[in-house]
Amino acid sequence: MKLQRDVFIAGVGETTFGKHKDDFDVLGRQAALKAMKNANIGKPGMVQSAYVGNVQNGIVTGQMVFKDLGMCGNLPIINVESACSAGGMAVHCAVKDVTTGIVDISIAVGTENFSLTRQAGTTFSAASGDIETMHGVVFTGKYAMRANRYMHETEATPEDLAMVTVKNRKHAKHNPHACFRGDITVEEVLNSRMIAPPLTLHQCCGITDGAAAVVVCSKEMIKKLGIHKPVKVAGSVVFSGPYHNRPRDLTSDDITEMAAERLYEESGIGPEGVKIIELHDAFTIAEILYYECLGLCKKGDGVKFLRDGDSTHGGRCVVSPRGGMLSYGHPVGASGTAQIVSCVKQIRGECDGYQVEPLPAVAMTHVTGGGVAGTEHAACTMHMLTRGW
Amino acid sequence: MGKEKEKEGKRSVKKEKQAEPDITFYDRDLFEVPENGSPPYLKGYICKKCGQLDFPKPSMCPSCWGGDFEMVPLSRKGKLYSSAEIFIGQPGMNFPITIGYIDLPENLRIFAQLEGEGEGFTCDDEVEVMVGTIRTNRDGLPITSYKFKKVR
Repeated sequence: MKLQRDVFIAGVGETTFGKHKDDFDVLGRQAALKAMKNANIGKPGMVQSAYVGNVQNGIVTGQMVFKDLGMCGNLPIINVESACSAGGMAVHCAVKDVTTGIVDISIAVGTENFSLTRQAGTTFSAASGDIETMHGVVFTGKYAMRANRYMHETEATPEDLAMVTVKNRKHAKHNPHACFRGDITVEEVLNSRMIAPPLTLHQCCGITDGAAAVVVCSKEMIKKLGIHKPVKVAGSVVFSGPYHNRPRDLTSDDITEMAAERLYEESGIGPEGVKIIELHDAFTIAEILYYECLGLCKKGDGVKFLRDGDSTHGGRCVVSPRGGMLSYGHPVGASGTAQIVSCVKQIRGECDGYQVEPLPAVAMTHVTGGGVAGTEHAACTMHMLTRGW
Repeated sequence: MGKEKEKEGKRSVKKEKQAEPDITFYDRDLFEVPENGSPPYLKGYICKKCGQLDFPKPSMCPSCWGGDFEMVPLSRKGKLYSSAEIFIGQPGMNFPITIGYIDLPENLRIFAQLEGEGEGFTCDDEVEVMVGTIRTNRDGLPITSYKFKKVR
């Protein structure tokens, strides 16, 4: 969207991601409080609007998050859903409130708890009325089809795909918020339980719980709050997926390409200027395809980009420095927000043990929300963040 | 006598309020299995206003918002764009199943289950439409729909 006045991120917070006995509202509250304290906000009544991203924890989730913080009644709380894009979309909404001058301080929270309600041994598909859902589709199967087509068209192998997990879990080795982390070999990834060939268990984002929050505000408010390391929102875009029932190239991604092009244009920063990226690595194949779709490398060169070390420390652009969804798991409402939180911490140099050096001045986030037959994804939300001091 | 009829009336209303049986065929608008035994075919829809062909049947034309459609039988054979074997999937289904995207000459892409073993399918295989069970319904009965198999 066209930013009408400057927007900055004043504070961020995240819970650990993993299996939590605390429900989504408790996790959301914890993240929100961390973010507000990080923004030097010490009491209810200062934040002027709130957006809460959540997908399957029920109705009025935002109000459930904020009631114990004494914030219900003080500000409009609006709930945001768009499958896996919800958390990023909530930040987009908060940014919109500030950039248009509706408010000076807004907060976005992404939160999700799966483990308290989910049926074990199953996985996710879209709405029950969807024609593909009726015929048995699940997200793992859709990404497996992308992987099989990509391997058919290029020289990519299952080993290449597995390398994404190895890289991302290594990035997350000392990240206390990630739950799947440390050294894992390509063999261990390939030998894990088969989900949908070629995708094995460790090539799929785990189903976890977690929450993250971002406080955004105007330039004046940054001064008033006394924020030493504000991160500027250089761009924030949301797209809905083009719908048609004609053949499409599943090794490209129409909605990602549209969103990236708009983001590069609006922020004035191109892919070569981005130093770190948190993208939608829900499955190993996704990360490789997105190197190409986001313009980090030429079409067909995704595996080369990975193998050359260009997407890890010391390479052209560190992709998934927090470890990505492959290390945090993917509590769908929370991921989009968590990506932004982690990028802010990287820009600020606050990632002890998983810090990108030299400190990145430009970060980009990308999160898609799937589940409508006839689209590649239903939604895509992207942000460009830059050092603001 | 009158009271008996009253009771009967109340009982038949009660029966109607019980859940309707779930579908066993998906879906008459999308798929034709001729009773005379001739090969089954998918049903495409052409917008009478702008001529756009679509599958599945749109509620209204996404291009021009026209609401009148003419049904055309679609080609029975197509090219398998990609496929995947699923070992872990939706609750209530049996696994493994194989899914795929089939591209028809009419420039339409169909999502369907594939009949046959997963390892047996390669991108660009020629496949043809057939009738088969895709899942069971709420009442435990099979739901029949379109599937595709390799052309031999």
